[in-house]
Amino acid sequence: MSNLWFLYIFFAALLIFTGLYCLLTMRNLIKLFIAVEIISKGVSLAIVATGAVKNNILLAQSLAITYIVVEVALVATALALIINIYKKNKSLDVRLLSKLKG
Amino acid sequence: MVFSFIVIPLLVAAFLPLVGKFSRKLLPDVLTNAALAFLLFNSILLIKPIFNHGVIVQNLNWLGEKVNLQVALDGFNLFMLFTISLVSLCIALFSIDYLEHYGHKSTFYALFLVMIAGMNGLVLVPDLFSVYLFLEVAAVASYALVAFGLGYDELEASFKYLMLSVVASAFALLSITVIFGMTGSLNFQAVAQGLQDLEARLVLGVCVAFFIMGFGLKAALVPFHAWLPDAHPSAPAPISAMLSGLLIKVSGIYALFRIIYSVIGLTPVLSQVLMALGTISMVVAALLALGQKDVKRMLAYSSISQVGYIVLGLALGTPLGIAGALFHLFNHAVAKGLLFLNSGSIQHITGTRNLDELGGLGKVVPVTAGTNLVGALSIAGVPPLAGFWSKLVIIMALIQAREFGYALVAILASILTLWYYLLIQRKAFFGLVAEKWRQVKEAPFWMSAANVVLALVCILAGIFFTPIFKTWISPAAEALARGIQQVLMWGL
Amino acid sequence: MAIQIILLCGLVIFSALAILLRDLIKAALSLAVASLLLGIIFFRLAAPYAAVFEISVVAGLITVLFILTIALTKKGDEITEARLVKLAFPVFLILFLVIDGLVMKSLLQKIPALPSGPESGTFGEVLWKQRTFDLVAQVGVILAGVLAVLALFRKKEEDKDE
Repeated sequence: MSNLWFLYIFFAALLIFTGLYCLLTMRNLIKLFIAVEIISKGVSLAIVATGAVKNNILLAQSLAITYIVVEVALVATALALIINIYKKNKSLDVRLLSKLKG
Repeated sequence: MVFSFIVIPLLVAAFLPLVGKFSRKLLPDVLTNAALAFLLFNSILLIKPIFNHGVIVQNLNWLGEKVNLQVALDGFNLFMLFTISLVSLCIALFSIDYLEHYGHKSTFYALFLVMIAGMNGLVLVPDLFSVYLFLEVAAVASYALVAFGLGYDELEASFKYLMLSVVASAFALLSITVIFGMTGSLNFQAVAQGLQDLEARLVLGVCVAFFIMGFGLKAALVPFHAWLPDAHPSAPAPISAMLSGLLIKVSGIYALFRIIYSVIGLTPVLSQVLMALGTISMVVAALLALGQKDVKRMLAYSSISQVGYIVLGLALGTPLGIAGALFHLFNHAVAKGLLFLNSGSIQHITGTRNLDELGGLGKVVPVTAGTNLVGALSIAGVPPLAGFWSKLVIIMALIQAREFGYALVAILASILTLWYYLLIQRKAFFGLVAEKWRQVKEAPFWMSAANVVLALVCILAGIFFTPIFKTWISPAAEALARGIQQVLMWGL
Repeated sequence: MAIQIILLCGLVIFSALAILLRDLIKAALSLAVASLLLGIIFFRLAAPYAAVFEISVVAGLITVLFILTIALTKKGDEITEARLVKLAFPVFLILFLVIDGLVMKSLLQKIPALPSGPESGTFGEVLWKQRTFDLVAQVGVILAGVLAVLALFRKKEEDKDE
């Protein structure tokens, strides 16, 4: 089963690429955060699959659960930020967020 | 006990929101500062055992059950713990007065303590996944703290910081996962042993590249620095001091070099890549800092530049280079903490941070001006302040290792640094007093006190450079250099 | 194995849909479907607890949070993404897919299997006894998240004076 490792990592990389592409090109703040979610799906797939093919599934499983908990804390913080930004300028357009550049 | 560095801040943080219901100001102030003072005291107590035993590994038993709560403490860790405790205590003292107009002190302090717990945890754990986790603890707290003012700029900077930071830690975790897959374990020592007889240079190279990308983004090395000049100036002054003084060093530099030194090993190629990155950061950020009008933005760019020095020294890998880099890390944490707190004082006094509007403040607010001068000269590397010695050691190490090109660039960059710090001094404090600043008052007691303490540390560390360096920093650096040799002998 | 590959492809497709769909609610829902598929993959990889967490927390709780946010920020839908971005996405994806396919196999297939045999103990033992530190860190992360939300949704104190 060990030679299947590359297959799972292949799919994880695909997910991470999808997320990164979206992160770099999209304009809606919520879309950007969906991209972050997709990246973290890729990472958790990589963790569990690595454990499964390397006979370390119990350890990998507990890592994955911890990772999901971290994800929830991150999502809560980020969405709170998004709502606050929306309250301030009534829009979710990332292009409006370039006042600080330079 | 070593474990208290993580547990005490977390416990106090958990109780603070409850305490805040009864006492809005006094009790949170006292509790936070007491907790941090205790940690500082604790880290001083640990110095002696570390010198006697070299490494302390502590396992905790919980309710009679054997659980795996392992912390490992050596010279490098202890050095970081001491720096974190000292600087964060001064920052907390400063916040007593500064936070008056932000309100919600208890929430602020709680987040602050969670961030410190995260950094302490990151420094103490000997386990790759736990490194990631504590990184995230500190990071989540820092997102909220950057946005704490709830103004437009704060929120925007925080969001940008969050996005980049999440991607950075995702890459670091991905690389940790691959290493876990190759070696089957996560403990530093076990992984280093597992990697020794593994024929997978290419995969390991990719992992290292991801680590450099992830932690380099956290440390704001130059190709990955875009978020820092936004995030650090937007935060409240104490948090800017915290982020610039400590967080980028702990979650960026410490994490990266801990993994490189004790897991992967510093190969010549890796050393060259990191030295190049450090030099680029040093020069580019110094040039960018010159053009800034906002005091805090200039300081933020200067942080990137000084991080370049630290990376240069650590990447060199010789005992002298590591010692210089560690000492510079300490000096920069203290001096940059001081300067950011000071910019908070300036903002508190005058209500602006724009260098063009300031001027002549030196005569009106001597304490703020004096401490600012000390911090600026220390970072810029003027003898006999501490920053001079650390830069000197780094440059000497470069010359000793026959890296004359890097040494020359480091000297030139330090001249640039001196230039833009003198620019701040000239614009803000020297010259004629502008009419509107004639009536301003000196900063409140605790703000000045924190500034004075940090300035004293800058001066004393410079005067007592030789004993500090000999008894404290050199042993830590030599232990680290030995660690590199050990990992290198294991393989790669 | 075929089922697993179909599930993985579904995961990628629904994730791609989540970023391509214009309607944010639909995007959030397709993200939830992707999570659901990921949960099933976890289950088939003999990681039932992680699967439960993925399905209940990520597909459930996080989707609810997303939809709540979308509801609170109604005008968000009006932002139009650049058309070129969406049209170019499949091209880039296929390009990456080819590179990924070529690289991953050659990189990772050479890595030898681990010498150690299957691990002993139960999941609970591993989580509580081997990874105890992670539980402490989890407490820290949750605390940080809760406090962050408290800090970001606080009422400004000066508002009371007005």
